[in-house]
Amino acid sequence: MSSSPRSRTSQTAIFALAVGAAIIGLSLVLVYFGINVLDEGADFISGLYPPIAVTTEGAQIRELYTVIFLIAVAIFIVVEGLIIWTVIRYRRKPGDDTLPPQTHGNNIAEMVWTVVPTIIVIFMFVISWQTLNVVDTASANPQTRIRALAGQFQWQFDYLSPDGTKVLYTELLPLVSLGGGMTVPAGRTVHLSLVSNDVIHAFYVPQFLFKRDVVPGHPNQFDFTVNESDAGQTFRGQCAELCGSGHSIMLFEVRALTGAEFDAWLADKVAKANATPAPPPSGGVGTTVKLSALGVKYEQTSISAPAGAPFRIEFENKDPSTPHNVAIHEGSPTGKAVFTGEVFPGVATKTYDVAALAAGPYAFVCTVHPTMTGTLTVQ
Amino acid sequence: MATTTLTPAASAYRTGLYAWLTTTDHKKIGIMYVINSFVFFFIAGLLALMVRTELVSPGLQFVTDQQYNELFSMHGTFMIFLFVIPMLAGFGNYVVPLQIGAPDMAFPRINALSFWMLPLAGVLLLLGFVTGGTAAAGWTSYAPLSEDRPLAATGYGQDLWIMALVLIGTSSILGAINFLVTIFKMRAPGMTLFRMPILVWTMLVTSVLVLMATPVITSALIMLFIDRNYGGSFFQPPNGDAILYQNIFWFYSHPAVYVMVLPAMGFVSEILPVFSRKPLFGYKAFVFATAAIGALGFSVWAHHMFTTGAVYLPFFSIMTFLIAIPTGVKMFNWIFTMWRGQLMLKTPLLFAIGFLSMFLIGGINGAFSAAVPVDFALHDTYWVVAHLHYVLFGGSVFGVMGALYYWFPKMTGRMMNETVGKAQFVLMFIGFNLTFFPMHELGLAGMPRRIADYASSTGWQDLNVVATVGGFTIAASMTLLLWNIFLSLRSGPPAGDDPWEANTLEWATSSPPPAYNFDHLPEIRSERPLFDLRHGRTAEH
Repeated sequence: MSSSPRSRTSQTAIFALAVGAAIIGLSLVLVYFGINVLDEGADFISGLYPPIAVTTEGAQIRELYTVIFLIAVAIFIVVEGLIIWTVIRYRRKPGDDTLPPQTHGNNIAEMVWTVVPTIIVIFMFVISWQTLNVVDTASANPQTRIRALAGQFQWQFDYLSPDGTKVLYTELLPLVSLGGGMTVPAGRTVHLSLVSNDVIHAFYVPQFLFKRDVVPGHPNQFDFTVNESDAGQTFRGQCAELCGSGHSIMLFEVRALTGAEFDAWLADKVAKANATPAPPPSGGVGTTVKLSALGVKYEQTSISAPAGAPFRIEFENKDPSTPHNVAIHEGSPTGKAVFTGEVFPGVATKTYDVAALAAGPYAFVCTVHPTMTGTLTVQ
Repeated sequence: MATTTLTPAASAYRTGLYAWLTTTDHKKIGIMYVINSFVFFFIAGLLALMVRTELVSPGLQFVTDQQYNELFSMHGTFMIFLFVIPMLAGFGNYVVPLQIGAPDMAFPRINALSFWMLPLAGVLLLLGFVTGGTAAAGWTSYAPLSEDRPLAATGYGQDLWIMALVLIGTSSILGAINFLVTIFKMRAPGMTLFRMPILVWTMLVTSVLVLMATPVITSALIMLFIDRNYGGSFFQPPNGDAILYQNIFWFYSHPAVYVMVLPAMGFVSEILPVFSRKPLFGYKAFVFATAAIGALGFSVWAHHMFTTGAVYLPFFSIMTFLIAIPTGVKMFNWIFTMWRGQLMLKTPLLFAIGFLSMFLIGGINGAFSAAVPVDFALHDTYWVVAHLHYVLFGGSVFGVMGALYYWFPKMTGRMMNETVGKAQFVLMFIGFNLTFFPMHELGLAGMPRRIADYASSTGWQDLNVVATVGGFTIAASMTLLLWNIFLSLRSGPPAGDDPWEANTLEWATSSPPPAYNFDHLPEIRSERPLFDLRHGRTAEH
């Protein structure tokens, strides 16, 4: 109680300055040494790192993330450390009833912790703005133009002519469990435009470190370039904006081919699309089995089909907006899948062509709703 | 709500219940706010447990997609609109008139009206569960998903949601006017603006935010209602604009984040000085920082919309970064309040320290989303879920728990059990971090929020299991809280007027205080009149 107010004041200011200097110093040290160290290894914090980016834009975003992460770690260590140290150091000892010095504040200290955070946040703003200008610019001459159409709850990808006026080939994406998605040429700039005709969706590929909303009435677009070294890979993508009951199954894949492979693939698809459509498979399909679903339940719990011959399932989904399908498994719903029908939202009807099955008990189940099951007897 | 709230002794049943139902006493109304908020806290918590249980393993085990969407939509709605906001208003209602030496709020009947709208709104929301489905478009209810019944596959739940939110908004506006008039016109002699307790300052700024922002969301809600029921097209293309809804919604809902945090900061700023035996470090800086957060809070709303491709990114990015500065000032003022103090590690202080260390994380992980390109990766993933819970649970809920342990003796006249309180803190702290820290990693790994299901090939299951274990740990800590309240009401030791040797006027009257609060007031010559009374003004120097 007897120490002079002046010395207490300067002590506070010096301590505050030390804290501010520690934050800036530790940030500088971590950012200076950190980027290399962390890129090499340091698996122990890999969980707090985004996946390795497969696009040039994503790599820039990951670098920005690294710098901000290291500054964040520095701030966290100093401030959280200060909290813990203060609580331990200044806890009341039993029997000690002295009144601590009644410090009301310190203007130098207030200045320090106004100025230091200002420097840090302005720095973070400037580097993030610089990165933004690199990753979110439309290139004047994209080599490939693709248009993604999002709808409840599926994706469609249109491959456009170089001037963007003509649709060369359309891929209506069956759900990802059946394979498929968007095919892109690695090493070339792709201009992706995003169109929705119902609700807001979002095009999100985690390994791009990027997403953009697909807004009805407001076409969006962005450019990306998949690294040439990542050709041959497939990346998972998913709708990231709540779009209704089937939000979680609105999946797609992005398949990267080399430029030459892509050109051949697209030419082949365009040629096939322009040819006369093949007649629907017929002949040999004798039996048609009817099946319907309502209220997230199949209305028929047991159906039967002939053994050794292909048959059809005419499946009526009566649940508005809720996606269902029919998948056939050997023995029980957890058995080996022998047929998986396309998932589609109701109210709608689709016909599945099922290849010949051996006689025996099967289970049919909805891929989206594992509680929807029934038995199929093939005899 | 009142019937579940009150179980007075049988002989006094009629008069007791009648007294509570018709009361205009700010203390009774404040307590009813708190109890009502806790009821919805537990309902919303149960919904969260159901969400966490569904996410434990790939595949849909317990609910359908549609039911899952209802669960998280109602979890968010109850937590925000019927727990955090009214809970903070409730403590404000109880404490503010006492702290400024007033006999009651300025408009006692309006005060009662603004409370009774809340249970009514809660019942409207709950009705959704029995009328064919609640709102299922998230607590944000983005158009056009929320516009059309077939799109969201809901019954009348979305309309009930709109009506309930309009009611809650009206309640908030009436409450805000009441607080402003009370604070400006009813302070005791000697209590200048800069001698007001810091909680009163935070309630003042909060009320200004509510008054300016709430009418805006009410307009969006009414337009949405017209779109849904009378063929309007405010938010649906081609004639309407889906982005317009987001702009209006977040113009309210971002300031609402500060409505949900500033009073909790006020609680912490009351608790830290008392349990450190020191004044709040940098009182005026703290007041200015609070005002700055309130002002900046109106210029950052579109940082929720960086991925829409329809906002001017650099402006909202820099404003969002700037709001970290006044928040940082507060953080250091709190720490330096404890620095060189005499910390009594009682339960209220533990929760206040929990607030500091968890809100710190909620502030730091917010900086990632302020950096627009990083937000492109993180937006609408579980990272955001982690961030918002570190702010609203790590911040607001820890603050509310601290406030409850701090003012419970004043409200009831009885102390709570320290051992059970500390056990609750430890359990809640562990459960909270188990639940929400792994969500950072899930978000970085690409798990979007609001999905009912994920494939096992994604590798997200382990972290989801950890989060679910944490969720049930939080639930266990809440049973300890209920047990502690029960213990205290049954046999807690009497509190006396001022069990904590506190600083502000609510401790200068009996516990619980009589109607109209004070027989006489001590002289008010600083923001700590009771400290001056105890130690004399000379202890300052």
